[in-house]
Amino acid sequence: MSHLLDRLKFLNKKQGTFANSHGDTVKESRAWEDGYRQRWQHDKIVRSTHGVNCTGSCSWKVYVKNGLITWETQQTDYPRTRPDLPNHEPRGCARGASYSWYVYSANRLKYPSVRKALVKLWREARSTMEPVEAWASIVEDEAKAKSYKSKRGMGGFVRASWDEVNEIIAASNTYTIKEYGPDRVVGFSPIPAMSMVSYAAGARYLSLIGGACLSFYDWYCDLPPASPMTWGEQTDVPESADWYNSNYIIAWGSNVPQTRTPDAHFFTEVRYKGTKTVAITPDYAEVSKLCDQWLAPKQGTDAALAMAFGHVILKEFHVDNPSEYFMDYCRRYTDMPMLVQLDARDDGSYAAGRFIRASDFDASLGEDNNPEWKTVAFDNKSGTIVAPNGSIGFRWDKNKGEDGAEPKWNIEAKQGADGADTDLQMSLLEDHDDVVSVGFPYFGGVEHEHFQNNTFSDIVHHNMPVKKVTLADGSGTLLVTVYDLMLANYGIDRGLGGDFVAKSFDDNAPYTPAWQEQITGVDRAQVIKIAREFADTAHKTKGRSMIIVGAGMNHWYHMDMNYRGLMNMLIMCGCVGQSGGGWAHYVGQEKLRPQTGWTPLAFGLDWQRPPRHMNGTSFFYNHSSQWRYEKLEVEEILSPLADPKDWSGSLIDYNVRAERMGWLPSAPQLNVNPLEISKNAALVGLSPQQYTVDKLKTGEIAFASEDPDNPKNFPRNMFIWRSNLLGSSGKGHEYMLKYLLGTKHGLMNKDLGEMGATKPEEVKWEDKGAEGKVDLLVTLDFRMSTTCLYSDIVLPTATWYEKDDLNTSDMHPFIHPLSAAADPAWEARSDWDIYKGIAEKFSEVCVGHLGVEKDLVTLPMQHDSAAELAQPLGVTDWKKGQCEPIPGETMPSLIEVERDYPNTYKRFTSIGPLLEKVGNGGKGIDWQTEEEVDLLKQINWTHTDETDAVRYGKAKLETAIDAAEMILTLAPETNGAVAVKAWQALGEYTGLDHTHLAKPKHDEKLRFRDLQAQPRKIISSPTWSGLEDEHVSYNACYTNVHELIPWRTLTGRQQFYQDHEWMRGFGESLLAYRPPINTRSVAPLMNKKPNGNKEIALNWITPHQKWGIHSTYSDNLLMLTLSRGGPIIWLSEGDANTCGIEDNDWVEVFNANGALAARAVVSQRVPDGMSMMYHAQERIVNVPGAETTGTRGGIHNSVTRACPKPTHMIGGYAHQSYGFNYYGTVGSNRDEFVVVRKMKHIDWLDGEGNDTIQETGA
Amino acid sequence: MMRNLKLISLLLDYPSAEVFEYAQDLIQSAKADTKMSASEQQLVVDCIEKLTSQPLIDAQSDYVAWFDRGRSLSLLMFEHVHGESRDRGQAMVDLMAVYEEHGFEIDSRELPDYLPLFLEYLSQRPQAEALQWLLDMSHILALLEVRLDERNSPYAGLLACLLSQCDANIDRQPLAEQVAGEEADNTAEAMDKIWEEEMVKFGALSQEECGNNVLHQRRQELAQVQPLHFVDAAAK
Repeated sequence: MSHLLDRLKFLNKKQGTFANSHGDTVKESRAWEDGYRQRWQHDKIVRSTHGVNCTGSCSWKVYVKNGLITWETQQTDYPRTRPDLPNHEPRGCARGASYSWYVYSANRLKYPSVRKALVKLWREARSTMEPVEAWASIVEDEAKAKSYKSKRGMGGFVRASWDEVNEIIAASNTYTIKEYGPDRVVGFSPIPAMSMVSYAAGARYLSLIGGACLSFYDWYCDLPPASPMTWGEQTDVPESADWYNSNYIIAWGSNVPQTRTPDAHFFTEVRYKGTKTVAITPDYAEVSKLCDQWLAPKQGTDAALAMAFGHVILKEFHVDNPSEYFMDYCRRYTDMPMLVQLDARDDGSYAAGRFIRASDFDASLGEDNNPEWKTVAFDNKSGTIVAPNGSIGFRWDKNKGEDGAEPKWNIEAKQGADGADTDLQMSLLEDHDDVVSVGFPYFGGVEHEHFQNNTFSDIVHHNMPVKKVTLADGSGTLLVTVYDLMLANYGIDRGLGGDFVAKSFDDNAPYTPAWQEQITGVDRAQVIKIAREFADTAHKTKGRSMIIVGAGMNHWYHMDMNYRGLMNMLIMCGCVGQSGGGWAHYVGQEKLRPQTGWTPLAFGLDWQRPPRHMNGTSFFYNHSSQWRYEKLEVEEILSPLADPKDWSGSLIDYNVRAERMGWLPSAPQLNVNPLEISKNAALVGLSPQQYTVDKLKTGEIAFASEDPDNPKNFPRNMFIWRSNLLGSSGKGHEYMLKYLLGTKHGLMNKDLGEMGATKPEEVKWEDKGAEGKVDLLVTLDFRMSTTCLYSDIVLPTATWYEKDDLNTSDMHPFIHPLSAAADPAWEARSDWDIYKGIAEKFSEVCVGHLGVEKDLVTLPMQHDSAAELAQPLGVTDWKKGQCEPIPGETMPSLIEVERDYPNTYKRFTSIGPLLEKVGNGGKGIDWQTEEEVDLLKQINWTHTDETDAVRYGKAKLETAIDAAEMILTLAPETNGAVAVKAWQALGEYTGLDHTHLAKPKHDEKLRFRDLQAQPRKIISSPTWSGLEDEHVSYNACYTNVHELIPWRTLTGRQQFYQDHEWMRGFGESLLAYRPPINTRSVAPLMNKKPNGNKEIALNWITPHQKWGIHSTYSDNLLMLTLSRGGPIIWLSEGDANTCGIEDNDWVEVFNANGALAARAVVSQRVPDGMSMMYHAQERIVNVPGAETTGTRGGIHNSVTRACPKPTHMIGGYAHQSYGFNYYGTVGSNRDEFVVVRKMKHIDWLDGEGNDTIQETGA
Repeated sequence: MMRNLKLISLLLDYPSAEVFEYAQDLIQSAKADTKMSASEQQLVVDCIEKLTSQPLIDAQSDYVAWFDRGRSLSLLMFEHVHGESRDRGQAMVDLMAVYEEHGFEIDSRELPDYLPLFLEYLSQRPQAEALQWLLDMSHILALLEVRLDERNSPYAGLLACLLSQCDANIDRQPLAEQVAGEEADNTAEAMDKIWEEEMVKFGALSQEECGNNVLHQRRQELAQVQPLHFVDAAAK
C-alpha cells in the first residue's frame, strides 16, 4: 500500500531497451522488491538431506531464521562430471521439498512417552524397589504383564522424563540379559547408508551389551539372493550417470521416472545419443510412457520372458553365428568352461551333479591346499584337465605368503599348479567321448488357478556331449561343461536330439519365444526383436547393454528365477563389468560406501568381536509364529529330479537345520543363557566350546528356534529405530501383533493344529502358541507411526534437519552430510544422543546384576572369511548323526566374548583398542590401521581423565560428529591412505598390484566439515567392484573384468551353475521358469463372509508410489492432496466391471492373513487379474473398519505373510555363506492373492454417527 | 499484569504434580482475581476441580490424547492459521520478534506460538493490549473451545473464560454445528482410541458419501480464518 504513491500508473519513464528490444531499461524505486526480499531473508543455510529409505540421496539447503527452520531448496553444487557427461543435478523432488513442515508439525513426537498402564506399574514398583527388581516384579507377574501388553496399540501414553524412560529401558535390558541372555535383546533399524551414524548409535549400544541386530535388506525382500549366487557380492550396481554410457537400456519392472525422480534425467538424456529404451512392466506405468517400446508380460512370469530372450541370444549369438567378444568374455569371466559331474539316474539318464573338484583327481591335480574347493576345466593348450586360478580354494590358500608361494587368487588365464597359460574349452561338442541323455527339471507345466501353464513333462531330457574320466578313487565319471548345460537347459538345438527340442523360434518347445507367448502373453516377434537388438548392441559396443530392474521382480517367491533370467542375458552378452552395461538393481539406499569405516563404529568392533547378527526374515518367521500357519509344502517346490523321501519336513524345519549346521545365524541363539555357559563349563573343567558341543549332543542344550513357544526363548526386548517395522515393513503384520506383542489383531487364519495338518519335525509344537513374547518394545521416531502406536516407550528423535550424520547412495558417487540446522525441537534428541543416554543409564543400573561377563556367541560360517570353506562336498546334519558337531565346520563357531557391562557407557564413548591391535577391514581384506586411530586421537581429542582406566588416552567418541570422523578416517572411500593400504592388502590375495587405482588420491582425506561445504566424490576401494575416476562412471564388477580380481564365488567367476545339494534339490541349479506359488490364503474366505457384493480374487502387487517420499511420508497433507487422500487400490476396468465396483468406491481387500479397506481407483493402467496398492500407506490415515474383521482396516501388509525358501538358507559354501544383509531368507509377498469386493457398511468405528451404507453398483 | 492469564497458561500446559499439589491455592487465587467476573472465576475453578479430581497420570494421558497428537486441538496456534504452509516459519519468526521487542526471550523448549507460552507473555502485558491480542485471535480460541466442549474436556472452560474476558462476540451455534459435523481426529474414549492418530480425510466432492471430511473442513477453515498479523502489532 505504501508504494502506491511511488509508482506511476499512467506513465512510464522510458530509459532505453536492451536485448534487441526484448527488455526495457527503467529507472524507478525498487523498494517494492523489499517485500519479496524480506520474505526470503534468512540467517543461515545449512546442508542436509532426507535420511529416508530413498536412493535419491539428494543434498538440500535448509534455511534457518532466528533459530527456526523455515524452508528448504535443492543444493546445486555437486562436483561436475567430465566432459560429454551430463551433471548430476538437478537432484531433489517435490516430495523432499515438502519435508520441512514435519519439523514443527502437530504430529511431531515431542516428548519421551510411556504407555500409561506400564508406567503406573513401574512407578508403583519403583517406589519400593531398585530398578531391576522393579522390572522383574512387573514382567514376572503374569497378570501385570498382560495388563500393559494387551493395551498395545490402544493409546494411553503419558509423557515421561528422559531419565525415567532410560531407567525403565536399562532395567529391562539388565533383567533380560541376566535372566535370559543378551541375545534376547534385539534391535531393528534399516539402511545404514541413509543416516549411518544414527544406525550406528543403536547398533553400537546393542553390540556392546551383546544384543542382536536384525538384518533389514532381506526382510524388506529387496535383497536379491540371485546376486550372491551369481557374483558372491550383494547389490553392487552402476551409478545412474552410467546410464548415459549405455547404448541399450531395458527398464524391467523399474518405474524410473516415478521412483527415481532425481536420476531419471540421465535416462532421458541418453536417448538423445540414440540409445534405445525398452520398458517391461505388466501395467502401463510411467516408465512405459517414457520408453521407445513397452512389453507387458503377465505379472510374475518375467523369468519365462527372460528365458525366451536368452534362447534367442544363445541360438543366434553363441551357436549359429558366435560373437567372438561374447565367447572370449564367457570363457574368461564365467563358469561356462567349468566341468560338472553327471549323476546316473535309475532310468538310465543322468542329472547334472556337483562341480568336479581338483581333489577328485589323482594327486589333486597338484593342488595341495583346499583342493576340494578348486573347480576344474579342460584346457586346450595342454590338452588336460586343469584347476584354473581364481576359484575360492586359491583365496584362502593356507600357504599364502609363505615359502615364497605366489598368491593365485586372480582370473588370469593360467592354471594354478604350474602357472602355465590356459585356453579353457567351453563346449565338448567337438571333442567328446560320448553322448548321454541328461534330465532337466521343468516347472512350466505346474498348474495354478490364475497363471497359464505350458505343459510338457516334468523332466525334459537333452542329449549332451560328455567326457569320461577316471577319478582318484578309481571310479569313472562323466563330465559336462556348464556351457553345454546352459545351452541344453535353454532348449537350444545342438544336433544331438532330446525331448521337445525346438527347430525354430516358432516351435512351442521349452523356452522358445513361441513357448513364452502362452505364459506371458507377449508377442513372440517382439521377444525375438528385442533379444536381437539387445545382443547385437552388446556385441558391437563390447557390452554396453544394460538392464535396470525394480525390486518388484524380487518380491516373488521364485525371485531368483526372475533375477537370474536377466543376469544371464547380461553375462552371456558380456555386459557385466563394462561401462554402460550390466545389472542395475536399485532398491533401498543400499550402498553404504564407507562401509569398512562404519562397521567398527556400528558393531563395537573396536572393543569386542564378533557382533551378534540375525537375519530378519527367519527371526520374524519363527518368533512371530508365522510358521504355525505355513501352507506351502516342501514337496510342492522340490525338483522333479529329487526324491521327496530325502526332503522331509516343513519350511521351518529347513531353517532350523540351517541354523544347526552353521549356515544361518540364531538369535535368540540357544535355549540357555549364553552368559551361563562359560560359568557352567568351568565348573566341570571344560572349555565352553566343548561343554556346549557335549550338551548339544545329549540334547540338554538345543537351539532356541527349536522351541520358540518356550518362555526361555522369547525375544524379550526390542528396539526399533529409523523404521516403521510394524507398518510399512511388517510382513505378517497381524501375526506380529498377536504373537510378538500379545494385543488385538485381525488374524483370521487357522494354524496347523486347528487344521489338523502335519506338524514340523524339528520344532516343538504347542497347541496354543505363546503370545506377547516381547516384554518391552522401544521405538525411536519423530512422528507417530504405526510402530510407535504399538510401542511401550516412544522416544522422540531429531528430524533430518536437526542432527549431524552422513549419507551415501548407489545412485551417485558422492558422500554428503545431514547437519543440525537447529537444535532438536521440544524434548527430541538425536539417535546418537538417545543411545548414549541409554548406555549411560544402563551402566549405572546394571551394577550389582551384571559385571564382566563371558558371553558365548554362536557365529555362522561367514562369507568372505576362511570359514566359508566349511562344507565342500555335501550336506550332513550332526543332529541326525550324519557327522560330528564341530564348531565352525558342521555347526556354528562358538566364540567367547568378554563384556564389561558396567563400562558400557565408557566403551560407547571412546574408540577401543582392537583397531590398533587387530586392524580393520571388510569383505575378506584386512589392513592395519594404527595411523588412522592416531589421527582420530588428534581430530576428536582423547579422554584425559587419568583415573578413568577404560578411556584414558583413547580417542573420544562423544558426539555424532566424532562418530562421523571415525567413519571417514577409517574408510578407504574417504581416506586415500587407507585406500592404498586396502588395495595393497587385496594384492596379497591376487598376487597382482592394484595400488595404482588409489595412489593418485593417497593424500586425500575427507572430513565432516568438508562434506558440509560440498558433497565429495568417494575414492575407489576394493570394498566395491567399481571405480571412480576420470574415465569411467561407477559400474559394478568393473575391477573384476579389468583388474582380474575374481568374483567371490566358488569358481571365482560369474556363476550360471549353482551346484549346492539344496540348489539341485529344489531345481534351481540352472535357470527355470517357475510360476508363482499357491499361498492358499484366498480359498478359506472367498464367499464365506458375504456382504451381498460380488467377490473377485486378484493378485496383490505393492509397488512404490509417486505421492510419498519413497516408501514413507504419504501422510502429509501435500502428498495426500496430490494423491486421493487416503488408502487406495488400483484395479482394471474389466475386474471392476465384473464385481460392480466403480472408481472411488470403498472396497474391502482381505484374505486369511488379514483385511484392509481402501478406495478403488479403476484404471486402464492395470491389467485384469491384479490389484495394486502402493507400498506403505499408513493405517493412521483415513481408514474405516473392515467388514470381515470388524476392526480398523489394516495396511498393505495386513494381507501378507512371510514364506521363506530353503535355497536361501544355504551356508558354509563359498558364495552361499551367510553375511549380514548379504544372503539369507527373504520376505517375499507378491505371490499373494486377495479377495476384493465392494464394501457395504462404511463404519468408521468412531461412534460418531458418520457411518454410511454404500449402494451396490449397477 | 494479567495474573489470571498466567493461571490459565499454567493450567493449559501439561498437567504437573505441582499444579495438583497447589490446586486449592490456585482455586483461591482464581476466586480472588478481580480481573475476572464471578462467572469467569467459576469457569477456571471448575476446570481445576475437574482436572484434579482424578489421578495425575490420567489427567496426563488425557492431555496427551487431546493435545499431543492431531491437528484439530493443537495448542500451536499457527497450526490453525497456516497449517503446514511455508508462511508458518515466517509467522513464528515474527512472533519471536514481538517477544524480543518487549524484553522476553523463550526459555523453554517450546515454539513461540504455543498457547500457554503466548498467554504467559500476555500476562506480562498491560490489560488493554492483552485483551486486544485475545480478541484478535478469538476465532481460534472459539474453535478450540467448541471442539474441547464437544469432547467433554474440562479445558473448554479455560478457553471460554479467555473469550469472555476479551468480550469476544462469538456465535457458538454455527461453530458447534460445524464441529459436531467434524470428523473427530482424536476421540479419547471411543474404540477408535486404538488408532490414536487423527484421521485425515479427503476428496472434496465425496464429502457426503464418506462422512465428514477433515481435510475439506480444514481447507475451508484455513481459507476463512483471518491471519494473525503480529508484525503490525509489534511495529505499532
